[in-house]
Amino acid sequence: MMGALMTLSACTDLDERIYDKVPMDQYGSTDSEIQTITAAIYASLRGLSDNTTGIASYPTCEFVFFLDEAVSDEACIPARGDNWYDNGVYFEAQRHDWDPSNKLFESYWKYCYNGITSCNSVIYQIEKSGQSAEDMVKISAEPRGLRAYYYWLLLNTFGDVPVVTDFEQTELPAKSDRKEVYAFIESEINEVMPYLSENKTYGRFTQDVANTLLARLYINSETYIGEVKWQACLDACDKVKNYSLEPNYKTNFTDATQPGSNEIIFAIPYDHKQGTAGNYLNSMSVNAQQWKAFSVTQYGGNWSANGICAQPGVYSSFEESDVRRECLLIGEQRSKADGSIIMTTEGNQLIYTEEVTSIDNRKDLKGSECQGARLFKYEFRDDEEWERDYDWVLMRYAEILMMKAECYARLGTPDAGLEMVNQIRRRAGLKDLTAVTMEDLDTEWLHEFIFEGQRRTVNIRFGTYFGEWWEKPVSRYDANKASRFFPIPANILTLNPNLVQNSDY
Amino acid sequence: MINNQIRKTAFSVLFMLSMLITSAQNISLTGTVRDVEGEPIIGASIVEKENPANGTMTDIDGKFTLQVPQGAIIKISYIGYDSKEMPAKNPMDVVLEENSVMLQEAVVVGIGYGTMRKSDLTGAITSVSAKDFKQGIVTSTEQLLQGKIAGLAVTQSSGDPTTGSALRLRGGTSLSASNSPLIVVDGIPGVDINTVQPSEIISMDVLKDASAAAIYGSRGANGVIIVTTNRATETEVSKMSYSGWVSVGKAAKNIDMLSANQWRDYVRKNEILDAIDYGADTDWIKELEQTAVSHSHNFSMSNSRKYNGYRAAATYQANEGIVKHNYMNRLAGSLSAYQYGFNNHLKVDLGLNYTYDKYRAPDYGFYGIFNYAINQNPTVPVKDEQGRYTRMGGTNMQNPVEYNDNYFSEQTRHRMLAFGKADLEIITGLHAVANLSYEYGSWQNRYYQPSYAAGNSVGGTGRRQLADNSNYQIETYMSYDKTFAKVHKFNAMAGYSYSKYVYEGFGAARSGFDTDSFLFNNLGAGNDYRKDDVYSNKGEARLASFYGRVNYSYDGKYMLTATMRADGSSRFGKNHKWGYFPSAALGWRISEESFMSDTRSWLDNLKLRFGYGVTGNQDGIGEYKSLALLGAGGGGYYDALTDSWKATYSPSQNANPDLKWESTAQYNLGIDFTVINRIRGTVDVYYKKTSDLLWNYPVSQPPYLYSSMLANVGDLVNKGVELTLNATILTAKDFDWSADLTFAYNHQEITSLSNDTFQDLGTPAGQLHGIDGLSNAYTQMVKAGYPTGAFFGPRCSGIDANGEYIIENPDEQVYLGSAQPKFNLGISTTVTWKWFDFSVAGYGMFGQKILNATNMQLFTDTRMPGKNIPDKFAEQGIKPDKITYSDYWLEDGSFFRLQTITLGYTIPGTKKIGIDNLRVYGTVDNVFTLTKYSGVDPEINTSGLDNPGIDLCNVYPKTRSFIFGLNVSF
Repeated sequence: MMGALMTLSACTDLDERIYDKVPMDQYGSTDSEIQTITAAIYASLRGLSDNTTGIASYPTCEFVFFLDEAVSDEACIPARGDNWYDNGVYFEAQRHDWDPSNKLFESYWKYCYNGITSCNSVIYQIEKSGQSAEDMVKISAEPRGLRAYYYWLLLNTFGDVPVVTDFEQTELPAKSDRKEVYAFIESEINEVMPYLSENKTYGRFTQDVANTLLARLYINSETYIGEVKWQACLDACDKVKNYSLEPNYKTNFTDATQPGSNEIIFAIPYDHKQGTAGNYLNSMSVNAQQWKAFSVTQYGGNWSANGICAQPGVYSSFEESDVRRECLLIGEQRSKADGSIIMTTEGNQLIYTEEVTSIDNRKDLKGSECQGARLFKYEFRDDEEWERDYDWVLMRYAEILMMKAECYARLGTPDAGLEMVNQIRRRAGLKDLTAVTMEDLDTEWLHEFIFEGQRRTVNIRFGTYFGEWWEKPVSRYDANKASRFFPIPANILTLNPNLVQNSDY
Repeated sequence: MINNQIRKTAFSVLFMLSMLITSAQNISLTGTVRDVEGEPIIGASIVEKENPANGTMTDIDGKFTLQVPQGAIIKISYIGYDSKEMPAKNPMDVVLEENSVMLQEAVVVGIGYGTMRKSDLTGAITSVSAKDFKQGIVTSTEQLLQGKIAGLAVTQSSGDPTTGSALRLRGGTSLSASNSPLIVVDGIPGVDINTVQPSEIISMDVLKDASAAAIYGSRGANGVIIVTTNRATETEVSKMSYSGWVSVGKAAKNIDMLSANQWRDYVRKNEILDAIDYGADTDWIKELEQTAVSHSHNFSMSNSRKYNGYRAAATYQANEGIVKHNYMNRLAGSLSAYQYGFNNHLKVDLGLNYTYDKYRAPDYGFYGIFNYAINQNPTVPVKDEQGRYTRMGGTNMQNPVEYNDNYFSEQTRHRMLAFGKADLEIITGLHAVANLSYEYGSWQNRYYQPSYAAGNSVGGTGRRQLADNSNYQIETYMSYDKTFAKVHKFNAMAGYSYSKYVYEGFGAARSGFDTDSFLFNNLGAGNDYRKDDVYSNKGEARLASFYGRVNYSYDGKYMLTATMRADGSSRFGKNHKWGYFPSAALGWRISEESFMSDTRSWLDNLKLRFGYGVTGNQDGIGEYKSLALLGAGGGGYYDALTDSWKATYSPSQNANPDLKWESTAQYNLGIDFTVINRIRGTVDVYYKKTSDLLWNYPVSQPPYLYSSMLANVGDLVNKGVELTLNATILTAKDFDWSADLTFAYNHQEITSLSNDTFQDLGTPAGQLHGIDGLSNAYTQMVKAGYPTGAFFGPRCSGIDANGEYIIENPDEQVYLGSAQPKFNLGISTTVTWKWFDFSVAGYGMFGQKILNATNMQLFTDTRMPGKNIPDKFAEQGIKPDKITYSDYWLEDGSFFRLQTITLGYTIPGTKKIGIDNLRVYGTVDNVFTLTKYSGVDPEINTSGLDNPGIDLCNVYPKTRSFIFGLNVSF
C-alpha cells in the first residue's frame, strides 16, 4: 500500500509542456529569433480586430481610417437605407457633435496603444535576451521610433494621453500633458536617429521616416502645444534625402509592393496571401455590383458594401485635366462583359452622382444607393479578393514638398515654396501657379492627398475644421475648438480610473 | 457486482450467528425463496416474528435453514419485494412478489467510484433507466434524457442531424467555461457521450447537487452524468436481439414568404414600379428542402454466467436532414467481456467502444442559406437557361441553392474508448479497483468550394483537416464495506487518478485549381498558396487527483456522506496548482421512525436530505492560458532587403499566473416520499454560488497589450426548485398505466463581475451580425445583477401611422428580459394493455424571451422589391419602414412540445418458434408544439453568450418524423 502510494505520488507531474508556442522568457537568443520579434512591430501597423469588443482598428478602413476621413471635409459615410447607420456613429463624426462612447474613438485609441504595447514588448524581449548594451540600443532603435509614431498619432487625435514605456507595468497610468507627450516624441526620435538606417528601406522605420515624422510634429506644433515651429519643420524636411517625386502620380497607388519606389517613404505592405488582414477599403466604398465593371471571368465577384464616399463638392473642386480626379469614381458603371449599364439589386442603374441628399438616408435606400463619388485611389485588380493587396502609403515625398511650401508661406516667403507646389501640379497635369496663397495650398493638400487620411490634420491647421461644410454646422465642440482633440473613449475611462476626460468634454 | 459481494458477505456472517443462538427443542426449517419468475432471491431475510433476534438470510441459491419453535410465524422479506408472513412448515418454499415502489428504493445508483442503493442516498441524484429514455430518433446520445430529469435542460436548437444538444443542469454556472455536465461512462470520467451507442445504455444517473458531484472535484460544477452501459453481468443470459426502424420526416414549420404569384399581386397592388419580374415561380425554401428518410439497425448478442461472459453490439444509423445534402451516418460497435479468477476474488473487465460518423452540415454549419432563401425574389429562377445558378448579388443575397450544392464539406469522426478494469477482493468487503482507459477521437474535414461558387475569385479551393485527441486515464481506488452490530453500516473509499489529455491537428489547403475534378483529393494541383493554408498545432493537459468518501448509515434511518477531492491541473496558474473540494450530506428516513407508525398505512417512505459541497470548473481556462507566450501567428512581415515575407512572433495573451478553477458552493435540501404505494416523488431546493468566475475581463490599454484578460473575479448564483413525480395510476390484470412528471424552476443571476483589480460594468453581447444596418448593434449585456442572455435596449410602444416605431428614448438601455427559461417541464405516460403498449412524452420551456430578429428584418417596408417579404407582412396594414431593435420584437418563447407518441404491439406466441420477444411499433417524433412564438421554432439556443435567445434568420427547422420500428430478441 505504501509502495503503491509512493509510486502514485510520482504521478502528480503537472508541468505544462508547450508545443506550438514559446515561453516569452526563453526566446530571443539568436539573430533570427530577434528578427521574428522585431518584425512584429511592423505587423502591428496593420492594426487589429478585437474579438472581445468586436471593434476593428484598421488604418486602411474601419474604423481608424473612417474616423480620420469622416470628420474631415473630403469624405462622408451616409446611411443608405439601414446600411451604414450603425447607431449614428458616422452622423456624429460628420457633424462634429460626438459622444465619448462613439466606437470610432475607441478603435483609434486601441490601434495606437496596441502598437505601443507591441513596441514595448519587443523592447522588453530584447532587454531579456542578453544582448550587449551596444546591440541593445541598436536593436531597440526601430521599436522606439515606431512607438514615437504611434504616440504622434495619439497626440494628433487625443492630445493628452498616458505615456507608457514599460511592458511589465500593470498599474493603470495617468495622462501626461500634451507638452510632455510632444517632448517625449521629439526626444525619442532624436535619440534613436543615429541608429536608424540612412538608406531607403521599404516598410521600415528609417532616418527619412523619422525626419518626416519630426516635420509632421513641428508643422502642427501650434495645434499640439500652442507654439509655431515652421523653421524646425523646414529643417526636418531638408534632412529627408533618398526620395523624389515619381513621374506618374498613380505609380504610388498600384497593386504591387514597390521596394524601389522613389516617392514612398513609409508604407504598410499588404499581401492577403501572407495573412495581412484589414485592407479592404475598396470593398467598403463601391456598390456590390461594381465588380462587373472590372471583371468578366470573375463570376460572382468581390464582396463590396457601398459605403464611404466623397463629400459633395469635392469632385467638382478638381480641374478636369487633373489626373488626381480619377481617385474618385463617378458616373455610369458599365459591365465589362457586355458594355451595358450595371443594374443594382434595388433596380437602379449604377450611376454614381456627386450629389448626396443627406447624411441620413435611412428612409431612402433606393434613392441614395448610387449617390456619392466613390474612393478609387488604389488600383482595382480584376482577380483580387475582397481583402486587397495594395500597400497602404503612410508617408510620401510629395508631403515633404507640401510641408516645405506651407512653412515658407507661413514664414512670409511663399515664393520660396512656389516651385515645390508647381512640381506637384505639373505632375497632376495642371498649369503652374505664379504665386501661392494659403488657399492654393489648402486646395493642393486636398487634391494631392485625397483619401490618404491626412485631411483632418490639414483642416485643423487651416482652421476650416471649425467652420461649416456639407451636413456640418458649427457644432458645440467646434465653437470653442474643442473638436480638434477627440474625447477619451468612454470605455477606456471606465477601465482606467486614473484617466480624466479631456476638459472640453 | 460490489453489491452482490456485500450481500454474500453479510449473509454468511449472519448465518453463522444465527446457528449459534438456536436452541435444541426447535424444528430445523429449510426452504427456498424465489421471485415470480422462479429465480432464487439471494440475501432475503428469514425472521421468527415473535423473536426477531432469531433470523437468517438466503444463500446464493436462495436456500436457507433456521431453527424455530414448532408453530412459529416466519417473516420473509427482501428489499423491493412485498414481505410475507407464514407459519413454519417443512419444506418452506416461498415466492416473493415485486413491489414496484419499493423496488425503486432498492435500485442501485452510480455515485462515482462505487454504487449505492437509492434508499441510502444523501445527495440529489436522479436515475433514468433505458425504458424511460426518449423514443424516436436519437442522433446524439444525450437526447435520450430530454425532458426526463428535473433540472437537466436538454436543448436541441436545430433540426440538423449533425448537431447535438446543449445540456444544462440547474442553470449554467460559468460564463466562459463549458456548462455541460461531466460524463462518466462505466467509471471513466470525461468521456464523449457519443462513444456509447444509445442501445447500450441501461441507465443514467445524474448527480445534481454538490454533495454528490464533489467527488469529481474541479470537473463537477455542472453536475455529473454517470452512464452505465449494458456490459455483461453475472446473471445468466444467452441471447441475441435486433432493433431497427425506418423514418420519414418533413420540416415541421417554415417561414411563409410570398410565392411568385403573391409577389406579383403585391407589386401590382402597391404599384411598385421598379420591381423586376424574372418570370419564374420559385419557392426558395422548398428548393432547399427534401423529405428526410432515415433508418437505423442495431444488433446485439450476449452470453454470460456467474463467472464469465461477453457482450457485443453494433449499430448502423443513416440520418437525413430535411435540407438537401444534409446527413449524418453512424457506424458504432462495442465489445465487452469479463472473467472471474483467483478463487473468484478477482474480476477483470475488458472492453472496446467504437463510433464512426460521416456527415455533412448544410452551408458548412452556418445556416446562412435560410437567410438567403427568405431574401430571394420568388420570380427569380434557381438556374438560368444555360443551367448556371442565378446570382442577384448583394449582402445576404447569395443563391441559397448554389450555396447548399457547392459548399461541399464532408466530415468524418472516429471515437474510440478502450478500457480494462480489475476489481480485487482482498478480504471480505475490501476491494481494490483499477480502471485504465484510453480514449481517442479524431475528426477529419474534406472541403471543396468549386471555382464557380459564389465569391470565389481564385478557382476552386480544396482543404483537408485533421484533428485528434487522446486521453490516457488511470483511476485506482480502494473501498471497504462493513456493517457493525447489524445497524452500523460503513463504506469508505479512497483513491487516486491521473489523466493526460493530448490534442493535435494539422491541415492543408490550396486554391486556384484549373479543374474542379480533383475536389480535395489532389491539393498539390492547386496553383494558389497562402500563408495560413498549412498549419499544425499541439497541446496537452494533465490532471492528478486524490479523493475519498465515507458513508455511514444507522439502521437505515440516518445517513451521512462526506467526500474530499484534491485536484491538481496543469492548466492552473503557477500560484494555484492544487484545488480542494469538500462535501458533506445528511439523510434521515423519517418514515422509519417509530413515531411515524400511524402514517405507515399511506406514507411508505419519507426521507429528508441535506447536503453542502464545493465543486469546480476548470474547462474555461484552456491550456497554457496563465503563461506569457509568444506565438508565430498573425500576418507576416515584408522584408524589403530580401523582397520576401517572413514570420512574426508576438505575445499571444495577457499572462495571468493567478488563474485557477471556478468554484461552486452548493446547498441542497431534498425530500423523497412515497405515498399509497403508488406515487413516488422528490422535491429538491438548491442554492449554488459560483465564485472566482472565469471571464475575459476588459483591461485598460495601456498598460495591457490586449483589451481583455482571463481572470477569476465575479460571482454567479443559481437557485431553484425541482420536482419529480412518478405515479402508478392503475394496475390491473392486463392493464397498467403510469405517468411521470418533472418540473424545474431555476433563477440565475450574475451577482458580481468586479473586484479591486478588474471591473466589468457590462459587456455587450448578442450581436446582430448579418442584419442590414445593425451588424454592429448589440442586444444583450453580460452584466452584474442580471442573468446571462439578458436583453437590453429601448422600449417600443407600437408603430405609428407613418410606419415609425414609437420609441420614446432610442438610446435607452433597459433590461427587457432574459433568454433563460424560468421553468422546464417534462411529462410522459405509458399505458400497457394486453399486448399493446402506448406512450406519450413531451417537454416544455417557459418564461424565456426570444428576439425574433428574423421578423425584425422581414417586417420592413424597404425590403421590396429587392428582397422578398412574408405573407403576414403583406397583409399587415401599417408597415415599419426601417429595421429597429427594441422590445417590439422580443417575444415570449414559452412552448410545450409533444415530443413523441408511440404505439407498440408485442406479437404473442412467438416463443414457440424460438423468438423470445417480437415487438413492432410506430412513433411520431415531434408531434406538435404549443407556443405563441411566431418564428420557425421556439426551441433555440439559450446557452452560451454569443446569441442566446436570438432567432437570426439561421434557424434550421425541426423535423416531424414518422417512424416504424421492430424489436426482436431470440
